[in-house]
Amino acid sequence: MTDVRSPQAGNGAAAPGVAEEPADVAEETIAGVADEIGTPRPGGFGAVAWARWAWRQLTSMRIALVLLFLLALGSVPGSLLPQQGIDPAGVQQYFTAHPALAPFLNALGLFNVFAAPWFAAIYLLLFVSLAGCVLPRSFRLARTARARPPQAPRHLSRLPNSVRYETAMTTEEASAAAAAFLTRRRFRLSQGEGWLSAEKGYRREAGNLLFHVALMGVLVSIGLGGLFGYKADRLLVEGTSFADTVTDLDAYHPGHLVSPNDLAPFSLTLDKFSASYVASGPDRNQPESFNAHVSYTAQPGDAARTYDIQVNHPLNVDAVKVYLLGHGYAPVFRVTDGQGKVVYDQATPFLPADQSTYLSEGVVKAPDAKPQQLGFAGVFLPTAVDVSGQLESAFPAPYLPAVSMIPYVGNLGLNNGVPQSVYQLNTTGMHRLATPVQVLTPGQSMKLPGGAGTLTFTGYRQWVSLQVTYDPGQVPALISGIAALAGLVLSFLVRRRRIFVRTYRGDSGRTVVDVAGLARSDVGGGFEAEFGELAAGLKSVHDHDSSPRSEETE
Amino acid sequence: MAVAGVLGVAACGGQIAANTPASNGNNFVSGNGTSSYFKAGSRLAAPAVSGSTLSGARLSLSSYRGKVVVINFWGSWCAPCRSEAPTLAVLSEQYQSKGVRFVGVDIRDSPASARAFVQNFGISYPSLNDPADEIALAFRHTVPPAAIPSTLVIDRNGQIAGRVIGQTSYSSLGNILAKVTAGG
Repeated sequence: MTDVRSPQAGNGAAAPGVAEEPADVAEETIAGVADEIGTPRPGGFGAVAWARWAWRQLTSMRIALVLLFLLALGSVPGSLLPQQGIDPAGVQQYFTAHPALAPFLNALGLFNVFAAPWFAAIYLLLFVSLAGCVLPRSFRLARTARARPPQAPRHLSRLPNSVRYETAMTTEEASAAAAAFLTRRRFRLSQGEGWLSAEKGYRREAGNLLFHVALMGVLVSIGLGGLFGYKADRLLVEGTSFADTVTDLDAYHPGHLVSPNDLAPFSLTLDKFSASYVASGPDRNQPESFNAHVSYTAQPGDAARTYDIQVNHPLNVDAVKVYLLGHGYAPVFRVTDGQGKVVYDQATPFLPADQSTYLSEGVVKAPDAKPQQLGFAGVFLPTAVDVSGQLESAFPAPYLPAVSMIPYVGNLGLNNGVPQSVYQLNTTGMHRLATPVQVLTPGQSMKLPGGAGTLTFTGYRQWVSLQVTYDPGQVPALISGIAALAGLVLSFLVRRRRIFVRTYRGDSGRTVVDVAGLARSDVGGGFEAEFGELAAGLKSVHDHDSSPRSEETE
Repeated sequence: MAVAGVLGVAACGGQIAANTPASNGNNFVSGNGTSSYFKAGSRLAAPAVSGSTLSGARLSLSSYRGKVVVINFWGSWCAPCRSEAPTLAVLSEQYQSKGVRFVGVDIRDSPASARAFVQNFGISYPSLNDPADEIALAFRHTVPPAAIPSTLVIDRNGQIAGRVIGQTSYSSLGNILAKVTAGG
């Protein structure tokens, strides 16, 4: 509270000394910070006392911050160790590389951190902590927002803003006139014998309440997304299709209450992908635009519709969003084995190793080639150039597409059942065939030595990587976020202020009117001006009231 | 734009927990595949699926009505599928005389690789070509395959009696087949 006095009107007596804070002002701090500071230890040894103490601790701001920190700390192993849902092959490799350590880490759930019981315990505790903190406050705020103003203090002249003047009216008339005046100005009133309390600015409490309820809304929305949402990735080559089922997704991260039956049953075909790049200048090789032209059916049997998925322009099917994340080239290879049979003929996605030239790397696996399994590892160059004997790509667009592949024969390691990446060749059971490095352009073949077979580069297609996301909490979270912001702004901008009026008979026999004002949390200032205006208004009402004077009896 | 990352492997391997349609499903774990057996009375009807096989013929599931049908979702690129293929080849021949028919559903594969796979492992039963995964989608309201490989067992009344997620073993699929062919 400020110690500044308002300009005194008329003959108002300036009360001396420091403004004493009325008792009722301190008791209602806005966010109940007071009860966090001095959390009392349990008085006795009763279970109830301990439970109450534990609850107070859990719902304190300090514990909430500790839990938040633990949550951040707990997700660290998720980025250091391979995770089951994202990289099962990596987990397998880790088990092979660290046979002693891996089972121990696995028991701690470190290969699937976000599904580990201890991780769930942290975020559930955090949720309970936040809910336990915010809910009681919301109830308190709701009570405050509906409360009537308290009784007027006895000595109004001690308040920081006060005026005193006399009027010709009786005390009752003066009270009634003041009540009418303040009601017109949308004050909420409490009245008693010779006193009047008026309060305005309850929207501050309403705003505060809105903020807290919206905060709960944000928490619940995030929970909804975590329980019922899912996220999946799919790499799709031009001319091929996929359906939103678990078997047809590359990576699948379901919420805790999502079952495979819950996935939206759409299917989608990539008809054509086009990209354009800056051809010259300082931004040469930079992408200009991407467009994935797709056709999709929302339900099996529905009519197919078309859509252009672009960056930040996802396809929306039944609240499921399909985002375009990346793209690349898929050279088409045909492999003929040693017995003359075609054992492989398909577009093979290669991953870009250089984002500016789209030099891409990939492998071809022909596990059913005879007499031995065949594997190839190599590069695809969209615009192949020879830079002093070194094969490079000059531009990301496919102007001079070429591949260079290194052949291997032996055991691909696929038949033992251990899942492996389709982008890597496990060459431990294979040996490299001695062939000179060959650059193949579309239509060209390379014969493998020893009659092991032939590899033909028949052409190329493009692929896109798509992310399928369903987050039922997204819209509620947005609405809650906006509501929280609105509530916060309201609670900052609106000031709660009280006007007290006491009317009594002075020594001279005339009616004395004491008017005092009090702004709570007057951060922005400006209450003094408002008070001056209100006091002047009240005074003029009391001076110029035309009601007939009654006998002054008392 | 993000690089596609290490995709293409997660769909392979039975990491996803079994989801049984009825609580009285008798779950038992065998090998590295999670298998479920559904008692008569709690079984859901299999959808009517059809398509063209790898050899180009038309095949409809309804033509097997009255027989026990094993549907195996597979791909030639999928390591657990390659590992279980010899088991499936043996079981399909052993149960042939007991009125069991096997049907493969080839997923995310090219016809050339798929045909080489079938020949290589000596698989005599037909496989439906399902490039857009429409057959897996058709099972979404019943017992959907939840990984590649997944194997479903359909009883003589056309109802789903069991499922193995991930690589099947001789005992996991054999146990279900023994019960279903015995009329269980």
